[in-house]
Amino acid sequence: MNFLKWRERALESLFLICALTAIVGVLLVFIFVTIKGFPIFEKVGVLKFLFSLDWSPSDNKFGILTFIIGSFLVTAGALALGAPMAIMTAIFLSEIAPKRVQKLVRPAVELLAGIPSVVYGFFGILIIVPVVRTLFGGSGLGLLTGWIILAIMILPTIATISEDAIRAVPKSFREASFGMGATRWQTIWRVVLPAAKNGLIGATILGMGRAIGETMAVLMVLGNAPIIPKSLVGPVGALTSIIALNMSYASGDHQTALFGMGIVLFMISFFFVALIRLISRKRS
Amino acid sequence: MGLLILVIPSLAATGCTRAANAKVLNISGSTTVLPMVTAAGEEFQAEHQGIKVGVQGGGSSAGIEAAVTGASDIGTSSRDLTPEEAKLGLVDTVVAIDAIAIIVNPDNPVDHLTKTQVKDIFTGRVTNWRQVGGRDLEIVLINRDEASGTREAFLKKALDKTPFTKDAVIQPGTGQVRSIVGSTPAAIGYISLGYVTKDVKMIKYAGVTPSKANIINGKYQLQRKLHFLTKGKPKGEAKAFTEFVLSDKIQTGIVSHEFVRVAK
Repeated sequence: MNFLKWRERALESLFLICALTAIVGVLLVFIFVTIKGFPIFEKVGVLKFLFSLDWSPSDNKFGILTFIIGSFLVTAGALALGAPMAIMTAIFLSEIAPKRVQKLVRPAVELLAGIPSVVYGFFGILIIVPVVRTLFGGSGLGLLTGWIILAIMILPTIATISEDAIRAVPKSFREASFGMGATRWQTIWRVVLPAAKNGLIGATILGMGRAIGETMAVLMVLGNAPIIPKSLVGPVGALTSIIALNMSYASGDHQTALFGMGIVLFMISFFFVALIRLISRKRS
Repeated sequence: MGLLILVIPSLAATGCTRAANAKVLNISGSTTVLPMVTAAGEEFQAEHQGIKVGVQGGGSSAGIEAAVTGASDIGTSSRDLTPEEAKLGLVDTVVAIDAIAIIVNPDNPVDHLTKTQVKDIFTGRVTNWRQVGGRDLEIVLINRDEASGTREAFLKKALDKTPFTKDAVIQPGTGQVRSIVGSTPAAIGYISLGYVTKDVKMIKYAGVTPSKANIINGKYQLQRKLHFLTKGKPKGEAKAFTEFVLSDKIQTGIVSHEFVRVAK
C-alpha cells in the first residue's frame, strides 16, 4: 500500500518536473537573450535601434527597421498565399472529400510539415528561383520566392488546425442548415465557417508565427539585402535570416545588436501567443 | 532502469577512448581558403595517423573570431587584420597569394571593365549593362556578407573604400556567388580566382586578365594574401599543419592549383 502511494507521488513529481522544464527553458532563453541584447538599447537608443533604416555593422550603424519591415512583408505575403489555400484544404478534407481521398491527402499534408526547412530552401533555389527569374527578371532571389516557399511551409500548420476547428462544429448545425434547404456550399460558407471562425483565426496566427520565425529556408531564397525591396522580386532581409547570416562572425556591439533582434523576435512571438490565448478564451 | 545505469558508463567509456585516439585540429574561416585547407588536411591526415583535421567555412571574420576565442586552433582569413584585431595576440602566417576575379554570366557579351566602371557598378551609380557596353539589362549585383575577407579586400582595392550599394543580393559563401552568377544572365559578382570555373566568365579588370602570371608580375591589382591565424605562436598539431602547408610539396601542389605560392 505504502509502496503504491510512494509510486504515485514519484510519478506525479516526474510529470511536474517535465512540465516545469518548459517554463524554465522559456525563462532561461528569455533572460539570456535579454542580458546579451539589452546593452544595444542603451548604446544605440531604443528608438534608433527599432526605427532606423541604416544597417551597416562595419560602420557601427545598427538600425533594424529594414528587417522588421522585411520580416512582416515576407510573412504577410506568405499568409495571403498560404492561408486561403490551407483553409480550403481543410474544408475539402473535412466537408467534401470521400474517405478514400482523405486517406491520401491528409498524410501528404502532414508529410509537408515534416520536411526540414533546409530542404525547402534547396527546393526553392533549384525550382522556384529559376522560374521567378525567367518570368520577372532579376536574380530570382527575393520577396516573391520567399512568399511561395513560406506559403508551402505554413500550409500544413494552418490546414491541420483548421480541419480540427471545422470538425469541432457540431453535426447538428449542418443538419439544421440542410434541413432549411441550404446547399452544401451555403452550409459551408454561411454556417460551418462562421462557427469555426475563432479556430481558423488561431490556426492562421500559428502559421504566421511559423512564417516569421522561419530562418534557414528564407536565408537561402530571400537574397538578404539590408534594404526595403523595390519590387516584388527584389532581394530583402528578414530578422531571422540576418541573425543567422551574421552570428558566426559578429563580435562586440554587432553581436549585441543580433541579440537585440532576438529580443524583438521574442516579443513578436509573445504577442502572437497572447493573441491566440485571447481568441481561444473568447470562444470558451 | 538497471539497464540504463549499465549503459551510461559504457557509453562514456567508449567516448573517452575515441577522444584519446584521435586528436582533432579545428580550422575555420575564409570560404576562399576552405577548398585548399580541406585538400591539404586530407593529405596531412594520411601522413599523420591519429590526427583529424576538421575544416569549416563561415567567412574570414568568423575565422579571426574563432582564433581569438580559441574555438578553432587555426583561423583562416583572406583579408589583413584590422588594427584592433592586430592587438589581440594573433600570429599571422601568410600561406598563399590570391586574386579576386570579377565574374559575369557566360552569356554576357561584356568581357572587360575599367576600374571606374567596376567602381560605378558596385557603388550603384551604373545600374544597366547598356551603360558599360552590354545589353539593355538591369544589372543584378551579387555581393558577399560582411564576414567575407574577399568583400573586405574588394572594397579596399577595387572601390577605394567607397561603400557598396545596399541594393544587392547577399550570399554567405563564394560557391553561392558563383552558382548564382552562373545561372543569372544579368548578374555580376567577384570571387577568388581559385574558385572560377566554366560556369562563369572572368572579365579583364583595367585591361588585365586575372591569371597567376599577372599576379606574380603585379599587373593584376585585385590581389591579396591568404592567412593562417593562431592565438600565439602555432603549437603542436597547428604548428605541424602550418609547416606542412608551407612545405614545398603542398605549396607547389595543392596551393599552386588554385592560388600563387608564397615566396621561399
